[in-house]
Amino acid sequence: MWFQVPISHCESKMAAPMARIPSCAELLRVLVSHRAPSRLLHATAACQKAQAGKYKISKDGNKPLTYEMANPPHFIGVRKSWNSWHTSNLWEQPGAADRTFEDMFVRKFLQGTFHNCLADEIIIKRRHNTVYVAILLLRKLDPQKYYFLLGYTETLLSHFLKCVVKLEVSVVPRKVVYKYI
Amino acid sequence: MFRSLGMRGIWRTEKDPPKIRLIDALLATLLALSELLLQRKYCPLEVAADWSTQTASRKLWCEIPSVTIMAAVCRNTFPCWSRRLQTSLCINYNSLQRASSLAQTPGNQRGPQRGRRRRDDGPASPSRRPMVPRAARMAEDQDWPSVWPTAATFKPSAVPLPVRMGFPLNRGVQPDKIGNNELRKIPNFLHLTPVAVKRHCEVLKQFCTDWPAALETDESCEEHFPLEVITTDYVLSGPSLRHPEARIVTLKLKLSQLELDDHARKKLLKLVGDRYDKETDTLTITADGCPHRKQNYDYTQYLLTVLYLEAWKTEPWEASITPEDRDEFLWEGSPSEQNIVSTIKAIQEAEKGSSDVTQDEIVQNPDVQLYKQAVVNQKNQGEGSEQVQGYKDSVKRLLGLN
Repeated sequence: MWFQVPISHCESKMAAPMARIPSCAELLRVLVSHRAPSRLLHATAACQKAQAGKYKISKDGNKPLTYEMANPPHFIGVRKSWNSWHTSNLWEQPGAADRTFEDMFVRKFLQGTFHNCLADEIIIKRRHNTVYVAILLLRKLDPQKYYFLLGYTETLLSHFLKCVVKLEVSVVPRKVVYKYI
Repeated sequence: MFRSLGMRGIWRTEKDPPKIRLIDALLATLLALSELLLQRKYCPLEVAADWSTQTASRKLWCEIPSVTIMAAVCRNTFPCWSRRLQTSLCINYNSLQRASSLAQTPGNQRGPQRGRRRRDDGPASPSRRPMVPRAARMAEDQDWPSVWPTAATFKPSAVPLPVRMGFPLNRGVQPDKIGNNELRKIPNFLHLTPVAVKRHCEVLKQFCTDWPAALETDESCEEHFPLEVITTDYVLSGPSLRHPEARIVTLKLKLSQLELDDHARKKLLKLVGDRYDKETDTLTITADGCPHRKQNYDYTQYLLTVLYLEAWKTEPWEASITPEDRDEFLWEGSPSEQNIVSTIKAIQEAEKGSSDVTQDEIVQNPDVQLYKQAVVNQKNQGEGSEQVQGYKDSVKRLLGLN
């Protein structure tokens, strides 16, 4: 619903004295110009143009998408499931904010540690006081480097989160493409 | 398959293919490949499909049986790869697996064929080949609980099952297990196979004792253990084991299990209020005021003790109770009792001239007892049709009007 405030009508009466002041004259000129003939008040919710999590279609139709990318957020719980699994997400359970914050920290940490080596989203599952982080790695680094990074990540995250952190790694030769758009 | 054999490289670099007798090469290839296919139980359509995406239309190849495919392959591509015929005998399972995984990718395959290649597609010919997956080397009669002993995220290389998960694209199939993040998200029960559960139970058996013979039924359990304490332990994920709801202690008790006389029982009911459930005769005491469970448990014990002791006390002011103060009607000492006694005495006097029965004898008369019960029912349970009917019957019986 739009409310139209007819400034142009008001202006016809008020413009004459106000236009004598230079700054007001400039303002009136802008308001009365074709770009802003009236002021519009938006009283209802913003237009729901759902764009979150959608990828732009490429010209050649050759942009690869993984399954996670191909399904926008409103398919969570329908076609794809959650990336964080813990009891705080259950109904009326405390600690959801803390867990979410920690999960975001773990994700940022891993994305920085395994830069360009992650094939898909990071899955974080918690069982009791153990955090299981499932990552899908690309074969871009030497195994020795991966071994070091895995141990490094587990140790540091365990100290950060005050929990036992375990990484569950799978390796794929390349990103698993679900479809091209 | 052909990519992994290095055929593409030859195809591109070989300018002048060597001349070899066509029929020899054809036969050798046919024999080698058909034998290979039979041994490995490998679906030939996928080989063809993989190859055909590179060269010819896909549907054409998918309809042709395996031997024909290979013959066609030989004939069409003979000049360029006849030199590597010996190599074809050495195709291992590895390359076949890779070819199959490539051929089975779901969804529209137009990406690499149309437009320029994207960096995300991965290298065109990866120099490193994957190892033979563990699932392919597993024996059929292996001990699965030792392969998957505990709860773990799904690992495609260790699960010899053709599992698929995900939403299939139009005219596509569900994504397979390799690199499938959806399969890795969900909790699996691969460590809880019936064999594993059975072994767990067998190990745990030595720590179990027999159930007490005296507690076979629920009634006997209630009799021997009248007090029921309910607490909840929360298994939660997080750095702390504490859960705020775990402090709550609920104590349940059947009131009939307590030793109470009429006065004590009524006083107890007055004290506990709505914590008593009339239907099940259960008293429920919940404590959640203290931060720890032990404190709350102690508080419930204290409450129960105090309630019981208070119920047995008779304060001096309790003697001044009037019938209006009572919650229920008491027939003894009520005007109803006096009226019925005087009425019966008057009847007997009218019949015999004099009445020598005492008040106790009149009250103990079964007809009077029936009348008493009817009056009490009507006063305490309300004037329903049943109660009124009972009252009517008892009065008629008392007066001998039946």
